[in-house]
Amino acid sequence: MIFTIFIPLLFALILPLISRCIPKVHPGYFVLFVPLGIFIYYIQYIGSKFTAITETYKWIPSLHINLTFHLDGLSLLFVLLISGIGSLVVLYSIFYLHTYERLNHFYIYLLIFMTAMLGVVTSDNVFVLYTFWELTSISSFLLIGYWHFKETLQIRCFKINAYYCIWWIKYVWGLIFLTILTGTTSIREMIANPEPILNSQFLPLILAFILLGAFTKSAQFPFHIWLPDAMEAPTPVSAYLHSATMVKAGLYLIARFSPIFATYEWFFIVVSLVGIITLCWGSYMAVRQTDLKAILAYSTISQLGMIMAMLGFGTEVAIFAAVFHILNHATFKGGLFMIAGIVDHETGTRDIRKLGGLLTFMPISATLALFGTFSMAGIPLPFLNGFYSKEMFFESAVLLSNETNSFAAFLSNAVPYLAILGSVFTFVYSMYFLFGVFGGQKKLDQLPKKPHEAPIGMLLSPFILVSGVILIGLFPSLFNQSLLTHAASSISQTVNTMDIKFWHGLNVPFIMSLIVVGIGIILTITRKTWQPIYRLLPGKFSLNKVYDSIIKNVDVFSKRITNFYMTGSLRTYMLIIIGTIVAVTTFIMINTDGFNIKYDNLASISVLEITVVIAIIIAALATIFTNHKLAVILVTGIVGYGVAILFVIYRAPDLALTQLVIETVSVVLFLLCFYHLPKMQKRDEKPKTKLVNAIIAISFGTLMTIVGISAHSSNWFKSISDYFIETADTIGGGTNIVNVILVDMRGLDTLFEITVLGIAALAIYSLIKLRKDKEAK
Amino acid sequence: MSNLAVLPIIIPLFAGIIVTFVNKRVSLSRNLAKLFTILNLGVAVYVMYHVIQHGTIVLETGEWVAPYGIVLVADLLSALLILTTNIIATACVFYAPRSLPESKEKHYFYTFYFFLLTGVSGAFLTGDLFNLFVFFEVLLIASYALIVLGGDRVQLRESLKYVLINVFSSVLFVTVVAFLYGVVGTVNMAQIAERVQEVDQKGVLTTIAILLFFVFGTKAALFPLYYWMPKSYVVPNPVVSALFGALLTKVGVYSILRVFSLIFVHNISLTHEMFIWFAGLSMIFGVIGALSTSNIKLIIAYNIIPAIGFIMMGIGFHNADGLSGSVYYLMHDMIIKTALFLLVGAIAYVAGTSDLRKMNGLIHHYPVLGWLLFISAFVLAGIPPFSGFIGKVLLLRGAFTNEEIIIAIIALGTSLLILYSIMKIFIHGFWGEKVELREKKSTKGFIGPIIFLLLFSIVLGVGAEFIYPTIDSISTDLLEPEHYINSVLKE
Amino acid sequence: MEIIISILAGILFATAVYNLLQKQLLRIIIGTVLISHAAHLLILTMGKLKRGQPPILIEGITQYTDPLPQALILTSIVISFGITSLLLVLAYRTTKENKTDNMEQLRGSSNE
Repeated sequence: MIFTIFIPLLFALILPLISRCIPKVHPGYFVLFVPLGIFIYYIQYIGSKFTAITETYKWIPSLHINLTFHLDGLSLLFVLLISGIGSLVVLYSIFYLHTYERLNHFYIYLLIFMTAMLGVVTSDNVFVLYTFWELTSISSFLLIGYWHFKETLQIRCFKINAYYCIWWIKYVWGLIFLTILTGTTSIREMIANPEPILNSQFLPLILAFILLGAFTKSAQFPFHIWLPDAMEAPTPVSAYLHSATMVKAGLYLIARFSPIFATYEWFFIVVSLVGIITLCWGSYMAVRQTDLKAILAYSTISQLGMIMAMLGFGTEVAIFAAVFHILNHATFKGGLFMIAGIVDHETGTRDIRKLGGLLTFMPISATLALFGTFSMAGIPLPFLNGFYSKEMFFESAVLLSNETNSFAAFLSNAVPYLAILGSVFTFVYSMYFLFGVFGGQKKLDQLPKKPHEAPIGMLLSPFILVSGVILIGLFPSLFNQSLLTHAASSISQTVNTMDIKFWHGLNVPFIMSLIVVGIGIILTITRKTWQPIYRLLPGKFSLNKVYDSIIKNVDVFSKRITNFYMTGSLRTYMLIIIGTIVAVTTFIMINTDGFNIKYDNLASISVLEITVVIAIIIAALATIFTNHKLAVILVTGIVGYGVAILFVIYRAPDLALTQLVIETVSVVLFLLCFYHLPKMQKRDEKPKTKLVNAIIAISFGTLMTIVGISAHSSNWFKSISDYFIETADTIGGGTNIVNVILVDMRGLDTLFEITVLGIAALAIYSLIKLRKDKEAK
Repeated sequence: MSNLAVLPIIIPLFAGIIVTFVNKRVSLSRNLAKLFTILNLGVAVYVMYHVIQHGTIVLETGEWVAPYGIVLVADLLSALLILTTNIIATACVFYAPRSLPESKEKHYFYTFYFFLLTGVSGAFLTGDLFNLFVFFEVLLIASYALIVLGGDRVQLRESLKYVLINVFSSVLFVTVVAFLYGVVGTVNMAQIAERVQEVDQKGVLTTIAILLFFVFGTKAALFPLYYWMPKSYVVPNPVVSALFGALLTKVGVYSILRVFSLIFVHNISLTHEMFIWFAGLSMIFGVIGALSTSNIKLIIAYNIIPAIGFIMMGIGFHNADGLSGSVYYLMHDMIIKTALFLLVGAIAYVAGTSDLRKMNGLIHHYPVLGWLLFISAFVLAGIPPFSGFIGKVLLLRGAFTNEEIIIAIIALGTSLLILYSIMKIFIHGFWGEKVELREKKSTKGFIGPIIFLLLFSIVLGVGAEFIYPTIDSISTDLLEPEHYINSVLKE
Repeated sequence: MEIIISILAGILFATAVYNLLQKQLLRIIIGTVLISHAAHLLILTMGKLKRGQPPILIEGITQYTDPLPQALILTSIVISFGITSLLLVLAYRTTKENKTDNMEQLRGSSNE
């Protein structure tokens, strides 16, 4: 099994080689074999006797991340969809894309995407699942951006990227939560033992993360806005990613995890509610669109919402219907996308206002579209698969009633009405699509190209898909026991079989279907009358606009914040840094009772010392108040010499000497450098600035004093210096202890102290030299 | 006792001195630099191997027994960081000739580069707090020299701020070392740890600890101490930015990690809890900074700050997963940040500008650079199976173990925005219509080092199984300060 | 006396920081010089003042002042000297190139 998952990826690596060797042949022909082979391989598993299979390969066992692949009924259904539709899409793309369009890139992305999707639906390990999940995002991003050199697409892609970044990834954190709570990374083990999750206080958070991930991927309201934007992609991509596979990954995720959350009431409420709202909103929005692909995009959103709602219901019939509809939707919507692509390809436009009356030019496409749209609309005819699953959807909606929570009860009562509402609009846009393109008046003068029927190769894929619609419609039992039952059972964890029949008698669901068709026909005929209303809503309340403004404002907002504090002014930086240090340290000091002062065991105070100290203080203050260049330097020198005198008093002769020498050299350096500099200016700050500076300076000084006093008052241990005094002569071989420490005990310090000096000298040299070289030039 | 521990410090020191004398002969100094760097990398690998096989190496310099002399301690953490440093250095030294004008190479670039390595290695290895200060000064002064190399107007302006702020924090550092000496009477880190433990970090000790945190935090570019960082990392040559981005801030983080896992671990509910807040704020403000600019170099520079936040977060959790995550992330981030700085340097070179608004459609001419950036973005954002992912998973596990949910959510939001900020470069700079160039600049010499680094990133992620046990034992060591203390003081 | 020296160091820190917050480069650099003096005085205080003889071994004397802080200060003085001189040249070059020694005019445009 692992081989079939990775073979598209491996093939992607060698594709450039193949097409270099055989440049004349469209690379699509080679690529076609990959999904086709996988499809044929997995067909063998179809059958009523199918049992799940598992394969494990070690990856990072220390973190419990292993390549565990588990193929059960649900996975099998998805694998077949991915590889089956994948083959058809590749076949279609051979005729749709021209050889000059960097085809290798396209097919490489597509193959990577295939591996990613196959991985998502077969991984049992949550981290591996997440890895593939990300890979679907990345590869679909590249596929959408395939025509990135178109100006509009670049901008749209940017939006989509932002969207990907912001939402799609989120659910991994839910997964990490799950692994921590259950102590396992295997989904099956989590399902087997969901108690720790259900009893956790973090349950709402976990659910929120996972649902966010799934909702965005499956374009659920209000996270659906990326999908219409993604329609800028080449049509084969739309047909594959945005109707048949990727957008269903979110559904897959919900289906996969639903056994864990099934008993949690909020799971039902949130998933059903979001699903049913998406159904209504998506189908309503589809009616408003003028772009063929946008109609289909919103239609997809609404259909996904319907499936999502059924997964939320969680009853046996609902789950079975959900699985069934996943299959059905892939067939008719895939076909319709391809027909939209054909129309675009042959007429040069997708604007439904310019199209019309194409029936005579493109009879085959029109026929295929007829079956596709009728199936989508759920028209009660015994050869349309869409009707069967829609009927089951109504049935499951009606059967919802055994809820205890008042909101849940309200929701279950409202669901059937909302279901009808959504389905009415579904009917309307289906007819709108069909008659808008193929019926009505010819508007040849508005078309960029003279329309004609597509080449046979291009029609082949939609033909196969529409045949699927009819095949499933005529013989539903062919797929029931062998495929759908397994898939539904792996979600509901019990054997879940349904009888798929056309005629159940005149029951409530059938009446609902008739109502939908009735109102739908009226609305379609009187479409023109309703037009203004469709335009009215959502108008400026469109989520798209909200989202656009968020994206735009992220830049502005972040710029404003950053420029507010990153002023480039050293003073601001120092103020913030020192202010923070003082504030936090003071807080900590008070909090830990850090202050400590002892008056015993202090050195005596002599007049000489006090005099020197006062001199230093005066000199130091003078550095602030002097406004003459030379004077400031000299006053600073006085501080340095004063410190040297203190060193003498405190019995540090070496220090005093060094200090004297260095101070003298420093003063000379200062004078040298600043001889060339502008004159000192009078300080002309505002009083407020002065005050702030003074507060910060004084508080920092006070803090250091207090910590200093506390530190030497808390002298709790004997210093290691005693050892130095003892051993300076005996081991170190010198009587000047400080010198012995410097050159022997702490010789490493001294070595690198000299290094610092050396580097400084070299740096100064290169700073001056490089300028001289420049000036010489 | 083994002299091995001093080699990663001494080799670059001597190499630095040697290349000083051949500075006029550019190609000779280039080759010498490459040679010594590879030699040092070899030594680092051997040190790592030796530490894994035989345990921590403790070198008492000048045979003065600890705690009286200066000790160099190569434990697993230090050895790992030395190794990472040298991997980065190797990439940089091969990138440098292509990126630097000859005049800069002549003006002692390689000397300063080696001294920077000396300082960094020393800081990772030393077991003595005052000696740490000295090594900090070595690496700082080398960085001062590197940042002003060339001496452009803007460069001088930003480096002056950089130097001044660092001088302030250095002085604070030495003062704090003195405070600590005043209380515990020693500067040997192991002995400080022992003595602090003895008095249960009472009284003024926590205050001193926080001051020390601020000293390192300023070097590490942690919120709110990072103001000096973004712009000053942008003005020098890309190879210098890369070295800074990868090494300087990380030395600061390493010091926090070391000091607050070895010494000040007796008031975690106060100190470490505070770190988590600083970490969160670093993430938020760092990533906002990255979003605020369209200068591609600045985007990368700002991205250092949230990464520091991630590492600090793990240090704050102070549990096994959190610390493993921090170490993993530290290593990962050193490598990927270098790669990104080098990459962005190359992009700015071929585009002739670092302003994103002036770039378009580069992928038609420079596909390799484009795809490298694409991959780097995902490595940085922690998309599996690359290295960032493992680090983040560990960090989040640490967060959930401590039930620190808010910070986990901040971290997650941040990593999404990080990805967004890098993808912005890809979409605006690389995608778009093909623009005819006047001349197509060669990317030869840029690509190799970047691929070299990215390979490590991928290996760190995909081959996590080989590295994780080491990381795991590092975090065990960090949680058990006695290991370190005993190996140094050997009662 | 330790307390008085600590206060002196605090005053030096305060004046240094006040200078660091100024606009003119010369004052800022003077700030860095003052701050290192402050630090050195504090280090010396940490080893207790005026206890015993200067740390030069003389037969018969057992009381010496703490030599370690002195060694540390020596290292630190030399390092600060190196850095100060680099800083001076850097400052000189910066003012020459940018034609101003006012830090507020050395801000640079936002996020360039």
